[in-house]
Amino acid sequence: MILWTMPDAGDQTKETYASFLTLFKKENPNIPISVRVFTRNVLWRRMFTIKNPTHEEEIPDLIQIPHYWTALLVREGVAENLSQLDPGLSLSTCLTPLKNHCYKPGTKDIYSYPWWFDISGLHYRVDHLKLVTNNPEKDLSTWEGLLNICAALREQFKDVPGYYPVQNGDWRGSLSIRSALPCVWGRGADLLTQDLKKTSVASQAFKDGLRDYINLALNNFMPILRERGSLGTMVSGKASLMLSRKLGLSTFDARRGTQVHTVPVPSTGDTPTAYMSGMNLFINVHSQHKKEALAFIKFCARPEIQVHYAKLLEVFPAFDEALELFMLSSSRRLHVYGKILTAAQTLPNITIMGTIMEILKRILAVCATQIVEGRFTQASLDRELDLAAKEIEYLLSIYES
Amino acid sequence: MFDKKSYTLYKFHKQLNQAFQNKRELLESALPVLRNLFKLDRIYFFDWQQERAILSLRMMCKKEYCMDKQEDISVIGESNFLRKLLQEGITETEDLSYPAIYVLLKWQRPSMGLKNGEVYNYMQDKVGVLRLERFNKRRGFTSQEKELIKALGQEISHNLRNTEIDQAKNQRLNVSTALNDLSTVFASSLRLEDGLEIILQGVQKYFRFDRVRLYLTDAYARRIKSALCVDISGQVTRQTQEEIGEQEQSLLKEVFDAEATYRSTRSVIYIPLKVQRSKVGFLAFDNVLSRRRIGYLDFISLQQFASQMALSIDNARLFERVQELSNYDELTRLPVRRYFNEKFAEEMYRAKRFNLTLSLLILDIDFFKQINDNYGHQIGDWALQEVSRIIRTSLRQTDVPCRFGGDEMVIMLPSTNSDESKIIAKRLQDRINAITLPTKYTNGEEIHISISQGIASFPTDASSSEDLLEKADKALYVVKKNGRGHFAAYREVVDQTADYKKE
Repeated sequence: MILWTMPDAGDQTKETYASFLTLFKKENPNIPISVRVFTRNVLWRRMFTIKNPTHEEEIPDLIQIPHYWTALLVREGVAENLSQLDPGLSLSTCLTPLKNHCYKPGTKDIYSYPWWFDISGLHYRVDHLKLVTNNPEKDLSTWEGLLNICAALREQFKDVPGYYPVQNGDWRGSLSIRSALPCVWGRGADLLTQDLKKTSVASQAFKDGLRDYINLALNNFMPILRERGSLGTMVSGKASLMLSRKLGLSTFDARRGTQVHTVPVPSTGDTPTAYMSGMNLFINVHSQHKKEALAFIKFCARPEIQVHYAKLLEVFPAFDEALELFMLSSSRRLHVYGKILTAAQTLPNITIMGTIMEILKRILAVCATQIVEGRFTQASLDRELDLAAKEIEYLLSIYES
Repeated sequence: MFDKKSYTLYKFHKQLNQAFQNKRELLESALPVLRNLFKLDRIYFFDWQQERAILSLRMMCKKEYCMDKQEDISVIGESNFLRKLLQEGITETEDLSYPAIYVLLKWQRPSMGLKNGEVYNYMQDKVGVLRLERFNKRRGFTSQEKELIKALGQEISHNLRNTEIDQAKNQRLNVSTALNDLSTVFASSLRLEDGLEIILQGVQKYFRFDRVRLYLTDAYARRIKSALCVDISGQVTRQTQEEIGEQEQSLLKEVFDAEATYRSTRSVIYIPLKVQRSKVGFLAFDNVLSRRRIGYLDFISLQQFASQMALSIDNARLFERVQELSNYDELTRLPVRRYFNEKFAEEMYRAKRFNLTLSLLILDIDFFKQINDNYGHQIGDWALQEVSRIIRTSLRQTDVPCRFGGDEMVIMLPSTNSDESKIIAKRLQDRINAITLPTKYTNGEEIHISISQGIASFPTDASSSEDLLEKADKALYVVKKNGRGHFAAYREVVDQTADYKKE
């Protein structure tokens, strides 16, 4: 059986899987399983080619996807109907915000199954923040407060070469739409209107929200498009804050005794929100090993396995019982993330959701290049968003009407 | 015989001397070899993103495995780094806290010095960049190692280029074969609609487009007459002229004005279909959902294919037109007797096989000879056309009318019994009675057209097609004998048919 997955544990992904799969193989010695790691970009493109593979292309059996791709894969006809494969399969214990992303829109047929989720938060180095504020939690509760703290940190560490107040949490080292979402939501804006019939990316609130996030790079508080591992890392002391969806606590605690605290993403407006990103598994309709793939899905959904994997990856279990176990196992985690979880939002499960994210990702990539080259203007960003709105409206008219 | 460098190069060359399916496969083979050779902790492969002046990480190799990774590094602000990398092909990074070098992979080394503003020009030949890392601060890269790494980098570039060329050739070959197969299928399908559906589904499958659409023009090539679309799920939908919005209609002009042009950033292409100067329609291929770019090679192949397709569509349309002409009467636009007989035989067989009813209705225009004699053949033809128009528009999809000869017409009514046939006969009678000859030919006199109709039904009246036709004709004979302008079913007038003679 072949599992396609994403580099969720960074450079350690292969090792993490090797350790995790040992558990599965112990229980299922007759199910050989091999893992291929692809970036989200590559996986996205492959979602459109696995339907008609060429003779030299590998056919995966099981694939990890972000929660909002399910509708697309159902539409494309590449995802197996899991309810049909196993009528006993249930989502009754799955976390409510993640449930709808497993169904074929408008039905109760399960096409992808939840695995884990992560949620955005702001991590900060306690020792660094102490130097610039007496009450970091209060000062970091608003976006304006965050920018002020960044300015103070910049001044405080002006003699440290390669220092940036904020470590870039994006794997690509660029601007990330997923990190920008809480800023957009905080401004009361969204990607789509409530009835999902129109887009709001051209609205002023959306533009303001995106600009809030971009300001981190524009003000040179966060490095973009630079070599990672050299500049602005919290562990090396060259950064003090990080916006990330990873838990991060154990990593930082384990290294050099660095004390790191986590707070909700500062609110840019009246609504504090956090981006909850679920990861699901789906079975390729062309798979020759559907039963084996289903066995793996069920294995991953077991509470003790959920907790184990969440710890390995520094993410959260997707099912009630496992989440409860996981949260209760650390009072700090419970204290910090209990609050963040109440403000969690997911993306809607519609066919074009992945495309919308790709469009916005491209816009932010262009912004990042412009910032680095010193030619970014708000007008050019606004124009890009206006064009994106037209493109999204067109997609809505084709695929969601 | 060999020095160490040459021997290492030879060994490396041998290791890479095999056919790789794609760039990924080659890198998965080459990077671990370099990692072991230079005892590296990590080795990375970056693509040049020329338009953004960015090094875009594609693959990382550590221990014994390779893995996809993503990271973008802008080099536009790094003038020293860039200058050194482009001029010397190798440079050490100043930012990392451990030894790391970047090695440029390119087709040909630039022979002249780097001047301001020429960065992009130089990038055009670049294949990518390797980053080699050792985590131990004391294990820097010696000058001999750097020389060897550069030489091995050249070997990788060479192989990458060959792999890319091979891949492109194979892709082209596969596409040509696929398109050739599709053309054969298309050419052998006599019905245009069937062929088009097969071909569009095939094109979508081979090229893996999100959507493939075909728009066909009307006879005057002024508007889009119909559209066929294969969507992301492979499902085919059809649109008639009425269902096609004005925005889509305006595409016709745009496509033919712009011709087919390729832009690398595009995930949509339109290719006009034309034969000599006539516009047959156009094809639209898009990846707007997946946002994948459409490759130039695909574009070229599709252009060639489109010209074949245009010709085939034109031929198929011509064939359909010829068929139409041979099956339909030119004056009345009703099917001719030969075509009717074929359909009648098929339906009789079906009716017998599945115990279905079937009726036949024979009609002629009352006093048609007098109309011709009194007002001329032109008016006679006009009357025939009007009656035929009413017949064509008053029947169900399954009914088959036919001009049997002169002013005599026959209508086959499948799955219809005698009583149901009478409803149709009454409808025809009422609508035709409402027709008046043009008064300018009748000296202002209002002359209505009327028809007489005879009905016979299977299985009640007859058990064979010949017999059914005869029985309907007998019923018509009785109607005419009794004063015309009416209709009758055979079983109602059977006792009045004794003096019937088949003409």
